[in-house]
Amino acid sequence: MDIATYEQLGFEIALGTYLLSSILFILYVSMKKERLGSMGLTLAFFGFAFETIALANRWFYTGHPPWVTTYEVMAFFAWTLVGAYLILNFRSNYKSVGIIVAPLAFIIMGFSSMQSANPEPLVPALQSVWLLIHVPIVILAYGAFAVAFAASALYLWKDRKLIVGTKDLQNDQNPHDVPSSKHSQSGAGILTGLQLDALDDIAYKSVAIGFPLLTFGIITGAIWANRAWGSYWSWDPKETWSLVTWFVFLIYLHARTQNWSGRFAAYISVSGFLSVICTFLGVGYVLPFLESFFSVSTGMHGYAGGDTLTGTVLFCGVLGAVIVLLLTTRKRPPKTTKASSKDVATHAG
Amino acid sequence: MNVALRLLTSARFAIAIIVFIILLSILGTLLPNGSLIFSSPLFIALIALFSLSTCVCSLTRITTVWRLVVHPRVDVTDQFIEALPFNAFLSGAKLSDVSEHINGYGHRHASNTKQTIFFAQKGRVGRFGPHIAHFGVLVLLLGVLIGTVNGSTSEYNNSIAVIPLGGSVDVAGFTVKLNDFGVDYYNDGTVREYSAVVSIIDGNVVETHYVTVNEPLTHKGLTFYLYDYDSAGVTQSGKAGWVAFQIKSEAGIPFVWAGAFITIVGIMVALYIPHKRIWIKESEQGLLLGGTTNKHSRSFFKEMEKIHSSVIQRNNHSSI
Repeated sequence: MDIATYEQLGFEIALGTYLLSSILFILYVSMKKERLGSMGLTLAFFGFAFETIALANRWFYTGHPPWVTTYEVMAFFAWTLVGAYLILNFRSNYKSVGIIVAPLAFIIMGFSSMQSANPEPLVPALQSVWLLIHVPIVILAYGAFAVAFAASALYLWKDRKLIVGTKDLQNDQNPHDVPSSKHSQSGAGILTGLQLDALDDIAYKSVAIGFPLLTFGIITGAIWANRAWGSYWSWDPKETWSLVTWFVFLIYLHARTQNWSGRFAAYISVSGFLSVICTFLGVGYVLPFLESFFSVSTGMHGYAGGDTLTGTVLFCGVLGAVIVLLLTTRKRPPKTTKASSKDVATHAG
Repeated sequence: MNVALRLLTSARFAIAIIVFIILLSILGTLLPNGSLIFSSPLFIALIALFSLSTCVCSLTRITTVWRLVVHPRVDVTDQFIEALPFNAFLSGAKLSDVSEHINGYGHRHASNTKQTIFFAQKGRVGRFGPHIAHFGVLVLLLGVLIGTVNGSTSEYNNSIAVIPLGGSVDVAGFTVKLNDFGVDYYNDGTVREYSAVVSIIDGNVVETHYVTVNEPLTHKGLTFYLYDYDSAGVTQSGKAGWVAFQIKSEAGIPFVWAGAFITIVGIMVALYIPHKRIWIKESEQGLLLGGTTNKHSRSFFKEMEKIHSSVIQRNNHSSI
């Protein structure tokens, strides 16, 4: 076997491990067996270890850092996401966040595996020390935002389960509703270890790490663009979407100072991650598709190209999933909203 | 006037402006020729409003922050301390039992009335973080403004200089001479690097530079970027042809980088340095201890609980 085959194998093992880990986390949350959660976490760690070796291997034999082609960038993104999740669980017990993180890592890795694995030589514009700084910083920021997304999505989900739970408890007087109440009680009991304010805290801390990184990433990108093209900002779609992400999390941080935490913050954090997805897929996939019809310029980040159809389908799928998530978490009586957001607000100080 | 000021200082208004900027930016990436949006009067007006709101918000708040940090309330009532997020009464304890735990805290004030009140705080600079970041954003936008104004007035900005091999052009009082140029290839035939050897002749001084895509040449506020080359000329063994350079004015760019740097520092100060304040009231009966922080409340509570339990432990020891 040559070195590229080993690397392929490493990525494939990581992909499979993230899938297994996802299944274990789903079982953990539905069966509430602590052991399943620990197994899910351990598997995620093994997947991460294999991916680390595969990425290092690729860096060694391509001679450039593994964040140049779409295949590499996606794999590296999954790596930062799982890495951030493992760090989160290093001293605290936030395993349940894995129910979102592991499937997300699997989807991203799966997406990576659909791309061409052929290493591409560095074009002149990419031969810069900024390649070593700008790209990993931005991807690390996106990894942090992905963890924030996982915590916020869980927040919204758990919040909704609690509401459905209380609603059904009220209906308990009605004898016809006994089975549904039993079901929803288990729903309310999901993720028992994680309180709403802890999830809010994870999301805030992840944003507090991701936001300065993204700021630094955008600036280093501007410095690099100025060096290579003589223009620090040219409103190409990737630049614009990264700025949109920056603005969304700017709102998140300002909303915090207004004590609008809780559900509102969770919605902003989810939208911020949606913007990250648009930055990734919107440029490499959807825009070339538009470009062929309307001649929209993809600018200097055009190298992140790929298969248009799968990209568009995936993009719409993720977009649809998030919209469904947002719509299904909407039902709730206003009284409890106040109580929970107040609770969280005092914690955020 | 008052209404306008109140609107500009309101965080909701600032958030509304940002939402509009986001929506227009998204449109800019989706519409055909959408990039025209970013130079439209509407977008520029929004950015101006955003700058104004950033500026007014900081200006109106900075005096309050300054008062809070530099002239803090020391002579507080018992009710004030009891209303703090963390508070405890340590009966029989003395100020000296606590003082070693708050060594890291600076700026202590003691006031003598009937009781001694002790005030300690840490991380004052954290309160200024948002304002540092706001200032940075304004400096950055000022740089963009200078660059835009200068770019449209500068004679040379955005112009293309085509120089034949061995020939030269005169720009802004100096001469640029093309000595050599070439293209490197990978084994598979894709381009590895474009390069040119250029001399700047300014009066009696002659400087020679090796220019590549990521290493442009800057002289007297003008930067020369590799733009195009004679692909027919480069392949000839005898070597002939030309190289085109794009000329860009450097005006405003130092402000952009300085502003960006200040913004990053401000964001990090705002996010990572919590402003922690502790009040301790000593009386015959014991200590009334209270504390608050503007962020990272969990770790602050742990810190306060540690002080609390260690004082209780010590008092138990001394009473035995």
